[in-house]
Amino acid sequence: MASADGGAYRQAESLFMQIDISQGTTSLGIKASNGIVIATEKKSSSILIDDSMLDKVAVICPNIGIVYSGMGPDFRVLVNRARKSAQAYWKIYGEYPPTRVLTQEIATVMQEATQSGGVRPYGVSLLVAGWDINRGPTLYQVDPSGSFWAWKASSIGKNMVNAKTFLEKRYNDDISLEDAIHTALLTLKEGFEGQMTEKTIEIGVVTVPTPAELEAQRVGAETGRPKPTFRKLSEEEVRDYLAL
Amino acid sequence: MMNTFAKRFEKKPIGLRGTQGAVTEDDQITDAAWGSEAGFGNLVKGTHSFNVPAVPDPTAFLRMHTDDHADPNCRIKIQHGTTTLAFRYKGGVIVAVDSRATAGSYVASGTVRKVIEINPYLLGTMAGGAADCQYWETYLGMQCRLHELRNKERISVAAASKYLSNLVYSYKGMGLSMGTMICGWDKTGPAVFYVDSDGTRLKGDLFSVGSGSTFAYGVLDQGYRWDLSDEEAQELGRRSIYAAGHRDAFSGNSCNLYHVKVDGWVYLGNYDISQMHYEGPGDVPGSTGKGYGYDVRTGHRFSVAAEAVTA
Amino acid sequence: MQYNGGSIVAMVGKDCVAIASDLRLGSQALTVATNFEKIFPVQDRLYLGLTGLASDVATLRERFRFLTNAYTMKESRAITPSAFAHLVSSTLYERRFGPYFIEPVIAGLEFHPAPEGEGKGTWRPYIAGADLIGCLNFAKDFIVAGTAADKLFGVAEGLWEPDMEAEDLFETISQTLMNAVDRDAYSGWGAVVHVITKDKVVTRTLKSRMD
Repeated sequence: MASADGGAYRQAESLFMQIDISQGTTSLGIKASNGIVIATEKKSSSILIDDSMLDKVAVICPNIGIVYSGMGPDFRVLVNRARKSAQAYWKIYGEYPPTRVLTQEIATVMQEATQSGGVRPYGVSLLVAGWDINRGPTLYQVDPSGSFWAWKASSIGKNMVNAKTFLEKRYNDDISLEDAIHTALLTLKEGFEGQMTEKTIEIGVVTVPTPAELEAQRVGAETGRPKPTFRKLSEEEVRDYLAL
Repeated sequence: MMNTFAKRFEKKPIGLRGTQGAVTEDDQITDAAWGSEAGFGNLVKGTHSFNVPAVPDPTAFLRMHTDDHADPNCRIKIQHGTTTLAFRYKGGVIVAVDSRATAGSYVASGTVRKVIEINPYLLGTMAGGAADCQYWETYLGMQCRLHELRNKERISVAAASKYLSNLVYSYKGMGLSMGTMICGWDKTGPAVFYVDSDGTRLKGDLFSVGSGSTFAYGVLDQGYRWDLSDEEAQELGRRSIYAAGHRDAFSGNSCNLYHVKVDGWVYLGNYDISQMHYEGPGDVPGSTGKGYGYDVRTGHRFSVAAEAVTA
Repeated sequence: MQYNGGSIVAMVGKDCVAIASDLRLGSQALTVATNFEKIFPVQDRLYLGLTGLASDVATLRERFRFLTNAYTMKESRAITPSAFAHLVSSTLYERRFGPYFIEPVIAGLEFHPAPEGEGKGTWRPYIAGADLIGCLNFAKDFIVAGTAADKLFGVAEGLWEPDMEAEDLFETISQTLMNAVDRDAYSGWGAVVHVITKDKVVTRTLKSRMD
C-alpha cells in the first residue's frame, strides 16, 4: 500500500515522467472548428523492423480514437480495455459512449494501477479524440496517474514542452480541420529526427457529421457499425498532406 | 370364431338414459331432444334424452372439450363469472343479477339476462353454464305447467326446485354446471331455494351465487332485515349487485332487478353499474339520489381537474 | 401476467406522443385498488409504463430511477429515449432465466440537432415496447401492453391515424384505452393519460367505467 509520503502515486509521477521524456515520441492533438486531428511520430529502433505492423493511433469505437506516448505494450492493454468498455456501453445503451465517458473509463483503469498491490502504473500518456452529440468534438489527455483534462490543443511525449509552445503560438479557435492537420505536421517537424514520411507519421481525424450523416448513423446503430466520425488517415492521405 | 372377432368391434351399450348402444335412424326421431324437432315432436313418451358421443367414456370426452383450465383454447366455453342474489323478506322476494359474460378475461357481453322467467310466478337465476341454466329452467317451466294442469293448482316453489334438483342429480358427473336460485311466492309465502348441479338444494332467506357473491353478501348481510320496506329491499338488491360489479372483475355492466309479489313477479328495470357508481340508480324508489362510491374510489380526481405539468 | 391486471397504450402524434394506462390493481378477480399508477416519468419528456406483476412494477420503477440517476450524474446529461429503451432491454435480459413479469412501454420525445446555424433542432416522437426479457419493438404508430393488449390492438388499429395534433391524440388514446379495457375483465377502473409535447406534459385523469 501507499506509504506516508504518497508512495505509489509519487512512483507513478517520477517513474513515468521519466519514461515519457526519455523513451517516448511526440504526439499531439489539435481541436479545429469542424473536427480534431491527432498525430504522432513513429520511430523504430532498427531499419530491419517492418513498421507497417506498428499502430500508434488506435480506433476505439466509431466516434473515438486515441494516440499515445510512452510504452507500446501498456498502450495495447489500454486499447483493449477501452474497446471492450465501448462495446459494453453499446450493449447497454445501444449507442457508443460520449468521449468524456470513455476517457473517464480509461482514466479509472489507469488510476487503479496506481493504487493496487502487485501492479505498476501504466507507462503511457494518452490523447483521446472523439465526437458525440452532446459535446461535439472533444480532445482529452490522460496521464499515468489517472488524471485527465480537456484541451483545445496539446502535446505529450518527448518534445511536449517545445511542441506546446509552438501550438500556443499557432493556435486559434476558428482554425479549420485542414489547417489543423498542417499545423500538426508543422509542429511534429520541430525537433523531428530523420525524415518525416507516411511511414514515420500517423494521423487520425475526427469529423463532425452533417444532420444527414447523423440520420444515416441511426440505421448503422442497429448493427453497432454506424458511419464513423473518427478515422485514421491512410498512408496515401498522409503522403499527400506531407507533400503540400 | 368370426363372431367373436366381430364382437370386439361392436359398440358397447352405454348406461345413459334413453340411449342404448348405437343410435339408429328410428331412435333419432323418437328420442332426439325436443328442442330440435321444430315443434313436431311430442313429450307423450315422457322425458326426452340426448345424443351421446359413441365413445367408451362420453363424460371424459366432453370434459376434454369443455375444461378450460386444462386448455384455455377449448371450443366450448362455460361462463364462470357472475353475481346473482335473491332474498326473501316480508314484502316478497328480491332477485337481482349482473349482466356480464366473460370468456377468459374477455368481456364477451354486457347485456346478458341472467334471470330466467320460468313462468309468471317463478324466477330462476343463472350462474355457471348459461345453456344448462336456460335449458333446464325452461324445461322446468314446462313441468310446472303440466303440474298445474294435472292438479288444478300452482306448483309450490319447494316442489319446483326439487324437481330441478332431482333432474340435475340424475346427470351428476356428466359436466352440467349450474348454480341457481328458484324464487317465487306460493301458499307458504315468499320462498327462495338454492339448487346447484352437484345436487345441493337448500331452503333459505338469502342467497348469493357466483364469483361476485362474496361482495354481494357483504352488502346484503349488512342491510338485510325481514321487515324491510319494498323500497329498501329493492335498493339493497341493487346496491349489492353494484358492490360485486365494482370489486369483481368478472361481474358488472348492469343490474337486472325483479320483485316477486303475491300475484307473481314484476321486472323493475336495468341499472348501469358505472352509472350507479357515479350518480346512483336514478329516480327510483329507495334511491338516496347519490352515487354509491365515486369519491371514495377515485380520490377526488377526474378529467375536469386537468393538471398541466410544464417540462 | 394476469395476476394483478392492468394495461398500457402509447401513441405517436405530430410532434407529440401520448401514453396512457388504467388504474386497477387486482388480485385475480378481486379489485384491490383503483388508484394504482403504472406510468412513471423518467426525464422531462420521457415516460416509462410498466404492466404486469405489481411487485415487479414497483421494483423496476425504482431500479430504472436508480439507473437513470446514475447515468445522469456520470454523463452529466439527460438520457435519451433510445438509450433508455436499450437500458430497459439490457436490464430485463439480465434476468433472462428468471424474468421480471412485466411488459414495458416507453414514450418520449427525442432531440435531433439542426445543422450549424439553423436553430436548435427538433423534438421527434419516440415510442417503444418490449417483452418481459427485453426484446425491443420500435413501432411508428402505437404500442400496447397488459391484459387488454389484444383488445387495445383492435381499437388502436381502428382509431389511430398519422400526424394527429396533441388534442386529437389525447382523444384517440383515451377512447382507445377506455373502449379496450371495458372489454377486459382485468383492466379499467379509471385511467390516466399523459400527452407529451415539446413545451409541456399534460396529465389527465379520466372518468371511466368502474366495473
